This record gives sequence, structure tokens and C-alpha cells, in this order.
Amino acid sequence: MKRWIYSLLFLCIPICVHAQKNSFEEQQITRLRSNDDDNIETAVEAISKSGNIAFYDLMTALFNAELYLTDQGQLVVAGSTREDDYGETFAQLNTAYPKRTVLLDDANIPIEVNLYNLTEVESNRRIRALIQPYLTQMEIFHPDPLKRRVAAETLGHQGNPDAIPILTQAIAKETDTDIKSFMQVARAKLQLQHKDANIRLEAVTALGELNDTFVLPLLESHAEKETDATVQTELKSTIQWLKEFTVIMMAVQTAFVGLSLGSILILVALGLAVIYGQMGVINMAHGEFMMTGAYTTFVVQNICFALLPAAYIDVFFPVSLPLAFVISGCFGLLIERLIIRHLYSRPLESLLATWGVSLVLVQLARSIFGDLTAVKLPKWLSGGYALAPQVLLPYNRLFIIVFTVFIVVGLIAFFYKTNFGLRLRAVTQNRDMSACMGVPVRRVDSFTFFIGTGIAGVAGWAMTLIGNVVPNMGQTYIVDAFLVVVVGGVGKIIGTIVAGLGIGISNKVLEPFVEAVYAKVLILGLIIMFLQANPTGIFPAKGRNEDQ
Amino acid sequence: MKNATTPFIIFCLFGILIPILNHFGLVADNTLNLWGRYFCFAIAALGVDLIWGYTGILSLCQAFFFCLGGYAIGMHMLLKTGTKSVYGSTLPDFMVWNQVEQLPLFWEPFHTFPISLLMVIVIPAIIALVFGYLAFRSRLKGVYFAIITQALALAMWLIFLRNETMLGGTNGLTDFKTLLGFELSDPATKRGLYMAAFITLFAAYYFSRFITNSKLGRILVAIRDGEMRLRFIGYPITHYKVFIFMVAGVLASIGGMLYVPQTGIITPGRMDVQASIAMVVWTAVGGRATLIGPIIGAILVNLLYSFLTGAFPGTWLYFLGFLFIGVVLFFPDGITGLWAKCKTLWASRSNNTSTPPEPALEK
Repeated sequence: MKRWIYSLLFLCIPICVHAQKNSFEEQQITRLRSNDDDNIETAVEAISKSGNIAFYDLMTALFNAELYLTDQGQLVVAGSTREDDYGETFAQLNTAYPKRTVLLDDANIPIEVNLYNLTEVESNRRIRALIQPYLTQMEIFHPDPLKRRVAAETLGHQGNPDAIPILTQAIAKETDTDIKSFMQVARAKLQLQHKDANIRLEAVTALGELNDTFVLPLLESHAEKETDATVQTELKSTIQWLKEFTVIMMAVQTAFVGLSLGSILILVALGLAVIYGQMGVINMAHGEFMMTGAYTTFVVQNICFALLPAAYIDVFFPVSLPLAFVISGCFGLLIERLIIRHLYSRPLESLLATWGVSLVLVQLARSIFGDLTAVKLPKWLSGGYALAPQVLLPYNRLFIIVFTVFIVVGLIAFFYKTNFGLRLRAVTQNRDMSACMGVPVRRVDSFTFFIGTGIAGVAGWAMTLIGNVVPNMGQTYIVDAFLVVVVGGVGKIIGTIVAGLGIGISNKVLEPFVEAVYAKVLILGLIIMFLQANPTGIFPAKGRNEDQ
Repeated sequence: MKNATTPFIIFCLFGILIPILNHFGLVADNTLNLWGRYFCFAIAALGVDLIWGYTGILSLCQAFFFCLGGYAIGMHMLLKTGTKSVYGSTLPDFMVWNQVEQLPLFWEPFHTFPISLLMVIVIPAIIALVFGYLAFRSRLKGVYFAIITQALALAMWLIFLRNETMLGGTNGLTDFKTLLGFELSDPATKRGLYMAAFITLFAAYYFSRFITNSKLGRILVAIRDGEMRLRFIGYPITHYKVFIFMVAGVLASIGGMLYVPQTGIITPGRMDVQASIAMVVWTAVGGRATLIGPIIGAILVNLLYSFLTGAFPGTWLYFLGFLFIGVVLFFPDGITGLWAKCKTLWASRSNNTSTPPEPALEK
């Protein structure tokens, strides 16, 4: 008993200090302390009107019937309660103003008081009804972003024009752009109901500037009841603009997704095309070399996570790029030496043999790594660039597009600017003649296979950004990649690029109209039709062999 | 095969003796059923052999044709199940789940058995005709054709997986009860199906032999070995190719038709990309460009499959992968090629005279 009396003495101090500081606050607190219904009502009204955030905790406590008066007449908030063995209820005490903080005694132990010794500050239904709008208004300043958002929506929905200045204040303070636009919409909603046509006009303009299709229904419903002619014209043009904007954004989104799929297909198909153009071998295990690259990334990540401090963890991603290339390439070299070499000029047999290789590699990966592993997205690639409120371009997909461009440019430079590229093109064009001219054909073959499978590994490295690392990950895109090679024609990188982009984009353009599966079937049909006219692809190798 | 005794013995053994033994309980029902299914695979493998072994066209959508036959007969049997199904509706169970009230129009023909049989032949034939004509007309060949057919198999697999195509989605068709009024669970029916599969395999073998021994067969081999030369002489190569593609498709479809009543289920899993390649492996293992090879290959690989998945689970894919590589690298003529080589060796050792080697396959 003695303990809490002492501590209550301490507790008076902060309240007194504040009370002296500000007469308005002091006045309201005195009113509340009187515990008289009329006085409390006056205080609540005054506080609501002032819109002062400082009373938020106090009002919340009053609203929830947690506000109590001590014997000394001080305001406290009862926190969590417990019952002792005699059935008495004890509550932890908190300060009520200006912030709710747990009261501690001099031994730093939270003070507990028998509820019986406290007097509840009455808040009847009338008072609570008065407090409610104040609380909602104040929640717009709440530190929790979700609460701010809900408060903004509620305010807009309630349609009380008094909230306009509060919203303006909140908009000025807000840092989160998403919530800010919610607040702006709420404010505009309120402004639209304003008697003054100028304010309504202002609201329409503000809504239009948000560039968000989300406000369309609001504008459209308002257009039906708007009487003022200027506002009406402004409304019409805003609605028109927003509709156009939606169409443009849809197109941009589709183009982006298509570009993203196209660049993935190019990345996967490049290695395939290089090998096929050079040796006439369709490497069925190409997807598995991608998988090798992805698992290399995964292993490097795990090593980095184990060894490096948290701040440098993302280093694993750039580090694993060359490793993915070299390791996949070496695997490819091994397969070339052991298998492909012996099947020279028997393309169908090498197709089957590489399929066998793919089965073994998938099973090997499954028994070593299990079924579901993922590479953590590096921090600098998470998130996305918001082109418009509803159009987000994820950084990882942007990165893949840029990376593909980089690889393509690098490969073209390699093909056309280096001595080796020259030999490689010579062998692609006429193998026998090149051999006669002294090009070491077999060595060129091996190196081509190394490059081709290395690019596959790099593709796998990039794929870890957008999907899990699983043993059969190579199969997702591989059939499409084959089609890219077939459509693109042999021996020219440009064919692969055009075909990859074409297939990727047309896939995504068709998807809104038919389901993804049917889009695929449709594309296959289109490809077959296309091959009717150009059986050797878009950019066929020019020459005069018997087939043409 | 000059003398007719070997086929006669084989026919008596598998077609008459084993069913009789089964009747007296000396051969387990399961074993009989398993072999019945292998015969179905062998029929499909014969088709692969005709188009790949003899004509040199690698088609990677044979499992799709196999499933076409399987689905056709499955649809027929499902309609015959009628109100005996789980939900007691005249509609198949999966349609009841999907809240379909009326039987889709394309299911209607499958009410009668003869039309269903006709469909087993006509549907793959038409698909092969259209697809083959378009592909061969534009002179797609080699790996290009392989890839296009693989894409076709993938696309069809995706379509069969969908629920709204009314083919049972991922779960496929199952819960068959009767075929032509015979209870499928009855051992006697199973024996009948086994014999039907075997007799069809026999017929398919002789049909293929008829083709390969005819002038048509020689043209097919010529397409494989020197397509351009043949084209320049003036043969309408596209027609021959389309024809053999259709034959291969129909053979696969017939195999599927006989397969489904024996397993009691058909799902899109039977027609995925890998399934078609597996059929090519059967043919390669047995020995292509021989007619007995694919039959031996299909049976042997599947026997190994059931043995390995039972004895060493998890090793099957390794085994299949190495089988692929090994056969392609070391035994391009498969088991029959190996057998022929052994025979020549044996003959040269016993006679001590050099017999002229058989003309080797040109790759």
C-alpha cells in the first residue's frame, strides 16, 4: 500500500509541469479531472475542434474507458490487469498526457494499483460519439502507415468537409507516396462535395494530376451530378485523359513484360543457336547447363552467407557471374569431348544423346541439392521503378533486359572483331572449306561448345533473379528457345534476337485475349505458318547447298 | 525371316500358351497384364521405327498420338460407365466436379464402340495429315522437324491439362468399368485384352513388314539415305513422308487404345515431352530399321523400368540417361545390330571363311 502512495507522488510531477506550461491544455485537463459529464463533454468538444494531436493518447484512453482518477485526483491510464488470489483486480498504471508511458517506481518496477482504489472517468455513449471523429482524424498522423491509410480512406468516405485542412496538413507531412495519394484522393473526394465550384475544380485538377486509373469511377460518378459548366468540362477532359493514360500504360506494361520474356528467350536461345549454327547439333541438355549456372550461383551464395559479414553478402551475385560461365562451359567441354565429338554429322543421334545427358544432370542435381532452393534477390535489385501508380517495372526484370543487351553486344563484338570469331564464322559457313584453309575445325568446335554452354550458364545465373533454382528449371523455357532457334535461322545472331523478341512479345500481346496456354498453341500455329513461307528461318544462311 | 517356324513358335508361346497357363493360375494376372501393356508400347515403337528407323524422320510427338487413341477409348468406356460412377450421374465424374450439366458435343460420337474405334484411327490420321503436310511441304526436316513436333507435343500436353477442354484435366480419365459389356476387373477380360494386344502387335508387325518389303519401303529408305537425289529423280517426297507420318501416328494411337483398358487410367502425363523421347529410346535400344528390334526394345526397356523402379528407386533416370548415351554412342544398331554382329563373328570363326558383312546403315 505504501509503495504505490509514494509512487503516485512522483506521478503527479509531469502532469503538473505540463499543466503550468499551457493554459488551454491545463483547462481541458482540469475539466476532465472534474469527472462531470458536462465538463468532459465541453473538454472533448474543445479538443476535437482544436485538432491537437497531443491529446491522442488521452482521448483514446477515455474512448476505451481506460482513463481513471487516482485518490489524489490525477489522471492515469489503466494498462494490463491481473487478478490476485483474493479476487482483487490490479492494473498497471500509465501516464495519460501527453504520451502514454508505463509508470515506474523508484526501483524501476511498473506500478500496480488495485482498481478498487481508482475512480473511472465516465465516458458515456454521447461522449464517445464525440471522440470518435477526433480519433479518426488524428490517426492520419499515426506512425503506422497502414493506420494512416485507413484513416485517409475513412475521412474521405465520411464526407465531413472539416477534415479538409487536417488532410492538407497530413499531405504536407507525408513521406510515403502511396499513402500520400490516398490522402489526396480523400481530400479531393471531400472537396468535390464542396459548395464552392472553384474548390471542386481544384479537386478535379488534383485528381487528374495523380495519373491513377483508380480515381476514374469517382470522377465518373461525380460527372453525373455536377452542375457547374466549367467543372463539367474539366471533368470530361480529365476522364478522357485518364482513359487514354490507362490504354498507354497497358501498352507499356505489355511491351515491358513481352520484352522481358523476349530477352529471357534470347538469353536462353543464344547459346543454343551458336552451337547449332556451328555444329548442327541441337543440344537438348542446354537447359541443364542453365541449371548448372543457377546452382553455381546458389553455391556461391551459400559460401558468401557463411563467410562474409551481412553488409557484403550481396557480393555473391557479381562474383558468381564469371563462375557460372566457366563452370557451365567446362561441363559443356567435357560433354563435347566425351559424346558430341563422336556423333559428328549425326544430328539426330546427338539430339538423343544430349537428351540422355540432360536426364542424368537433372537427376544428379536432384540428389545433390534436393528439390527446392532459391537464390536471395540482392538488395539493389529488389523493388521496382514505378512508372505510374499502377505500373511497376521490377528492377530484376529490367536488369535482365539490360544484361541481355550487354551479352548480345559482347557476343557480336566477339564474332566480328576477334580472330577467333572469324574462324568460327568461317566454319559455320563452310566447314570443309575452312578445314582445307587450315582452320583447326575440331578445336573451333570445342571452343564453340564451351562458349555456347557458358552462355547457358550465364542465362541460368540471370534466371535466379526471377525464379527458384530447381533441377528441372531448364525445361521451362527450353522448348520455346528451340522454337526461337528454328524461327531465327542459323548462323546469325540477329535472327535469334528478332525471333526471341517476336515470340516473347507476341506471347504477351496475345495473353490478354486468350489464356496463356492457348496463346502458346496459337504461337506454334503462327510459327508453322511462318515456316511455310520461310522454311529456313528469318535470316537463312546464304549458300548453295542441295537443300535450297 | 525366311522360315515361318520362329514367328509361329512365338505366336503359340505368347498368344496361346501363356494365356492358358494364366487360366490355370500358373502365370500371375499381374504379369500377364504387364506384358499386355508392353505389347501396346511395342506397337507404338513399330510406328516410331517406320518413321525414324526407315524414313529417317525423328518425330517427337508419338506419345501424343498414343494418348489420342487412349483418350478415345477412355471416353467411350467412361460413357459406358454411365450411372455406375461415383456420383451416379450419366456424365463422367470429372464433369460433375466441374459443374458441367450437359455432355460436350465432341463426346457424343463416343457412345458407340465402332465409331470410337473409327475415331482412334481417323483423329490421329487427320492430325498427322494436316500437320505433316504443312511441315513436310515447307521441307522441314532433321532437327527442325524434331523440334516442331516436340513443340506440338508440349502444346497438346498443355491443352489436355486444362479443365475446360473437357478431357479430365490433370487427373485424366479413369474409373472405367466395362468394355463391350465385359467387366474390366474380370481376369478373363484381362486375358482377352492381353490377347487382343498381342494379336494386334502381330498384325502390326506383318503390316509393317508388308510396307517395308514393298516398293514403298524402298522409297522410304531412299528418303532416309538420299532425300535430295530422290527428289531430283521426281518422286513426290512430301506425299511419302506424310503417309508414313500418318501410319506411325495411327500405330501409336492403336497402341494407346489397347493400353488404356489394361491400365484403367489415361492422364496427360503419358504424353509429355519425355514420353515421346522414351519411345524413340525403345526403338533405338532394340535396333532401328529392323522390325523385330523396336518390339524387343519396348519390352526390354519397360521390363527394366519395372524392375529398377522396384529394386533401386531413384536410379531409373540415371539408367535411362546412360542408356540413351550408351546406345547412341556404342550400339547405334541396338540389340539386333549386336546380335547380327555376333552372328557374323560366330560364322566367320566356325567356317573360317570371311562372310561378306551385311550392308551397314548409313547415318
